Formats: sequence, C-alpha cells, structure tokens
Amino acid sequence: MKKSKKALALLMAATMTMGLAACGSKENDTDVTPTPGNQGNPGNQGDSVVHGEDITLTVWGPSEDQSAEQGNWLPTMCEKFNEAHPEWNITFKYGVCGEGDAGAMVSQDPTASADVYMYANDQIMTLINANAVAKLGGTTVDEIKKSNSEAIVNSVSVDGNIYGVPFTTNTWFMYYNKSIFSEEDVKNLDTMVSKGKVAFPLNNSWYFASFYVANGCTLFEDGFNEAAGIDFAGDKAVAVTNYLIDLVANPNFVNDADGAGMAGLRDGSIGAMFSGSWDYNSVKEALGDNFGAVELPTITIDGQAKQMKAFAGSKAIGVNPNCKNQQAAVALAAFLGSPEAQQAHYTSRSVVPCNTELLAQDSVKNDALVIAQNNTFDNTSIIQPFVSAMGVYWDAAVNMANGIINGDVTHDNAAEMTDSMNAAMNNNGL
Amino acid sequence: MKKQTTSYKAKKRTVNILIHVLLAVLAVIWIFPITWVVMISFRAEKGSYTSSFLPKSFTLDNYKKLFTDTSILNFPKMFMNTLIIAIFVCIISTLFVLAVSYCMSRLRFKMRKKYMNIAMILGLFPGFMSMIAVYYILKAVGLSEGSMVRVALIMVYSAGSGLGFYIAKGFFDTIPKALDEAAFLDGATKFQVFTKVTIPLSKPIIVYTVLTSFLGPWLDFIFAKVICRANADYYTVAIGLWRMLEKEYIDNWYTCFAAGAVCISIPIAILFIYMQRYYVEGLTGAVKG
Repeated sequence: MKKSKKALALLMAATMTMGLAACGSKENDTDVTPTPGNQGNPGNQGDSVVHGEDITLTVWGPSEDQSAEQGNWLPTMCEKFNEAHPEWNITFKYGVCGEGDAGAMVSQDPTASADVYMYANDQIMTLINANAVAKLGGTTVDEIKKSNSEAIVNSVSVDGNIYGVPFTTNTWFMYYNKSIFSEEDVKNLDTMVSKGKVAFPLNNSWYFASFYVANGCTLFEDGFNEAAGIDFAGDKAVAVTNYLIDLVANPNFVNDADGAGMAGLRDGSIGAMFSGSWDYNSVKEALGDNFGAVELPTITIDGQAKQMKAFAGSKAIGVNPNCKNQQAAVALAAFLGSPEAQQAHYTSRSVVPCNTELLAQDSVKNDALVIAQNNTFDNTSIIQPFVSAMGVYWDAAVNMANGIINGDVTHDNAAEMTDSMNAAMNNNGL
Repeated sequence: MKKQTTSYKAKKRTVNILIHVLLAVLAVIWIFPITWVVMISFRAEKGSYTSSFLPKSFTLDNYKKLFTDTSILNFPKMFMNTLIIAIFVCIISTLFVLAVSYCMSRLRFKMRKKYMNIAMILGLFPGFMSMIAVYYILKAVGLSEGSMVRVALIMVYSAGSGLGFYIAKGFFDTIPKALDEAAFLDGATKFQVFTKVTIPLSKPIIVYTVLTSFLGPWLDFIFAKVICRANADYYTVAIGLWRMLEKEYIDNWYTCFAAGAVCISIPIAILFIYMQRYYVEGLTGAVKG
C-alpha cells in the first residue's frame, strides 16, 4: 500500500513538472510581456529599417472596435499601420478592454498588459501610479498639440507631460423630442419643465455636479489644483440645493434611474433626457424625425440664468512603458489617433472625432451628434478633475442627491446639508 | 359528541386555510422574481425600464439575439467555456472532496486533528482575498494567456475544494465502521472499501458535492474577471452578463441579459433533475448489514 502511495505521489509530481515545463516553453513562444529596461533602443531602430524587424504588439480596445459588423476599426487600422511601416513586420494580438475598464485592468498587471490600449482620461492617475502609461515625447507631442484644442490636450496632461493620444471627447449632453420642446425651450431647464417632462440622472455623481458648477462652485479651481479642494460651500451652493429641492418636487421632473429616461423617450411620455454618445443610436431610433441633441441648458437661480456645466473628458490611446518596442508602440498610438483613423472611427461607429481639422469638415460638422457633443465640450463643460482627491467626491455627491430625491434635504436644512456635503467632499480620509 | 367533532373539523379547516394562504403568499414572494426574469426574457419592448410592470408583448427574439449576435458579446462561446470548465471542475473537485473526506473519516494519522483545524481556519478566509496572488502565480506558470486561461480557471475553482470536506466527512462518519471491517475481513483494501462500500452508500452527499462544484464556475465573477482580463475568447457567462449591464450595452442588451440568466439555469436544472433521485435512494438498504 505504501509503495502504491509513493508511486502515485511520484506520478503526480511528474505530471505537474511536465505541465510546468510545457507551459514554460509555450510562454517563451508567445511571450507578450516585455521586460522593462531596453525601451526604445535607438540601435534596434537602425537595424530594423533594413531587416523589417519582426515584432509583436498587443493592442487592447473595446469589443465594438473589433466587431466585423461595426467596421472592424481596430484590426483594420493596425493592418494599415503595418503596411505603412515596412521597417517593422508586426504581428498584432488583440484583447478586449473597454476604455472605462482600462484603469483597473491594465494597472492590475502592467507588465502583462497591452502595449497600446485605449483609456478614458479620468483613469490617468491610476495608470500613472501603476506605471502603466508612458509619457509621450518628440514629434508625437507636437502633433497632438497642433491638432487638438487646448482643453483636450490638458485632459491628457499631468504636470505638463502628455500621457496619451486623444481620439474623442467624452461628455454628456441633452437629447430632446422636437415635437415637445422648441429650440427656444431647450435653452433653459426651467422653461422645459414647465412645458413637458424632463429626465435627469440626478443621483449619478457624474451628472450631479453640473448644477453646482453652474452657480460658481468649483472643483480644484480649474480642475488641476489639488490643494484648492472642492468648493461646494456657502450661499452659492445652498442656492443650488434649494433649486434642486424645487426641481425634484416638480411633477415634470423625472429622476432618470434604471433607464427610465430612455423608456420615456420611447413611449413619448418624457421629452428630454441627458446622456452621451453611447445612447445616440437608441435615441435616434426612438425619436426618428423628432430627434434633437443640444448642449446643456441654463437654470434660473435667483432670477438669473446660469449655465449648467457637464464633466467632460477625453478618451486617449496610451502606450505601456513596459513595452519593449516603444517606438513602434508610440507610432501606432499616434496613428490610431491620426485624422485618418478618427475619420474611419467616425464612419464606422459614429465616434465623434476631436481632431480640429477633421471637425472643420462639412461631413462631420453638420452632424447633430457632433454638434451637440462638441458644443457641450467647448461651451458648457468643465474638464472632469482627475486629481487623486477627486476620489471622495463621487459618494458624497450620490448621498446628497439621494437626500434631495427622497426628501431628507428640505428648504429648512438645506444650508446644513450642503455644508456637510462639502465637508464630505473635502474629507481626505483622516 | 357529534357536535364536538364538527367543531374540531371546522377548526382544523380554518387552520389549514390560514396555513395555505400563508404558504401561497410566501410562494409568490419567493417565486415571483424568478418568474419576472423569465417574463423579461420574453419581453418585446426594448430597454432596461418599462412603464408597465408586466411586458406588453412577448417575443423569442431576445434568445435569438443572445445566440446569434455574437460580434460584441459572444454569449454562446461564453456559455461553452463555462460548461467545459464546470464539467471539469465538477469531476475534479468531487474526487478531491470525497478522497479527503474519506481519509479524514476513516484513516488515523498523526496530523489528522491538526489538519482539520487548519482546514477549518483556512476556510474562514474569503477566497478572493488571495485573488491577486493567485493571478501572479498563474502568470508565473504561464497560465494567464490564451487557451491556458481555461486550465487556470479549472484549477482555481477545483484546487481548493478539498478543504470543503466537512459535510462529506460528517456523512461518512455516520456509515457504520462495521461495514468497513467486514470488507477488510473479506480481504478488501482501503481503496476497495472506499469504492465498493463507502461510495455506494453516500449517494446523497455525492450528489450534493457534484451540484455545488458544478455551480461554482457559473456563479463566480471575481476570479473569472481577474484571470481572464482582456482574453474575451475565454470569458465565462458571469462576465458576459455583467458586461450586458454596462452603460453602453444596457439599453440593447437588458432583455438578452434576462434570457441569458434563464439559459444558465438550464444545465444546472438538467443536472439536478438527473441527480435528484439519488437523494432519495441514498441510505435505503445501507445499514442492513
């Protein structure tokens, strides 16, 4: 019995080592995890021009960009890039990672992540802290600065360094039903709620701040000064809290939770909702000829019209500093953010371009979606702060919004509740 | 005398009626969410929210879309991935659990008590605590990329299952030792006692182990997410269903999400229906000897 046990143990040990060996050799073949240290070696570059160096690049992007039915944008662009660069013979490996997931997924293990990936700019600090995104330099930076508005360049800059090639703006605006609201109506939210039903995702912190910012509240001054903190205090903020209490009490205001806004647009019971380009196709289908999209309206506080301001950001293509073919990776990132690629992205998936030349073209600039998103970005938005202290904002905002919606916050305690919200937003956890 | 019996009958009837009403209400409360998900999966109206509680019209399109619209969220593939993983996990962890339980119940060795305590304490920690460590170990042995992801997931779900021996061990303890001894006298080895005596008498607990270990991969989200990362070809259904509810997809995929949830219950239900008869068979005829 003992003997058989020993034999079994031996057998198991053997299988395990064999398994390991097999895996090990496999990893050598397909290793996509570059070792840091020999980044962008100029010597390699010289050789590669002659030989057409064989390299592998891992590229991560959302699954829509890799779907044949939606134009296969990412693989198509990568192949084009390969053709345009005879100095490299690139084998691409693709992975699925939405722009919103990149922060978590790439920083989980930057050494085993994509060489080139797309991210939403609010995750830039997470990525920098994990050493998962490389500073760009040289001509790439010049090109980015030349072809994008300053706001967009700032959205991917930290301490003056640029960390990605922006390819689209990321914000929210208003969709409305033209048969319910006129173009004059949609300029003011209060006019709108007196005429028809409006859905707004109030208890979503991404949207919530727009009211406070309208009345002069600030987040980290211009969004980049971490020491300044969030200023949602004082009379200006209390006025907004009071405004919101009245707004929520209005029967024509619907808090847009669980898709209530979209359902209302579909059956005609709601005339306007606030969302972004990701809902464009659904809204277009629901409203047909009555489709309208426009920048944010104003709100009337103490008799004055104040402009609501959305959080805006960008989506950018980042390069992994652990990638061993830095030059190729940076060149690919630049190419994926080039006007040509943005144009293709717009054609295949209506991804609104951010390249200034492209935006000036007639085919692009007359599109309702592009107009709404860009007007919002240019006129009625602030850059969503991505300083680390911003982390506490989100829950504090949701709590306040829920308090307003369920009636815990009243005109009587508005000042007190606004103060405690402001304190919570500036609570650094100590 | 006669009067008394009728009043007793009447009393009994009222009590029964009350009990049945209560049971009916509870049944509705428990069954309703499931019925609702099934109804949503057949709902023809689009979107995640409808103004009416019950669907206005029904369709099979959600199921059709779920299994044919594979360009963005490839549900059939995720379903097959999960099924394959679940089958392997089910076999491996059942073997583990039964073997460990048998050892703990029937063999006597030095570290037995201590081992049981260690296992108990280890079991108190939540599994996902070691998530990142598990990821790095799997990466170090080359199981974190490509088709090896499936192997990695099978390992993750089954490797630790031996620790969950307590219930099966308790069951084995109830099987009389006399049976084993009789078999030993007839010249059986320990392995033969295990396969020929213990296993046939432990069908209920085997069914239980098989079902719970089969369920694991269908329900787990966190390990699958950490280990699959960008390898969309190896996603399990849990990741797929989660993605259907992201803001970009929810409007189009909400009803498909419900359809997916219904589909997941099918293999589990089949396995359960097939195995449930052993629950009853279990101990009948066991202790005769």
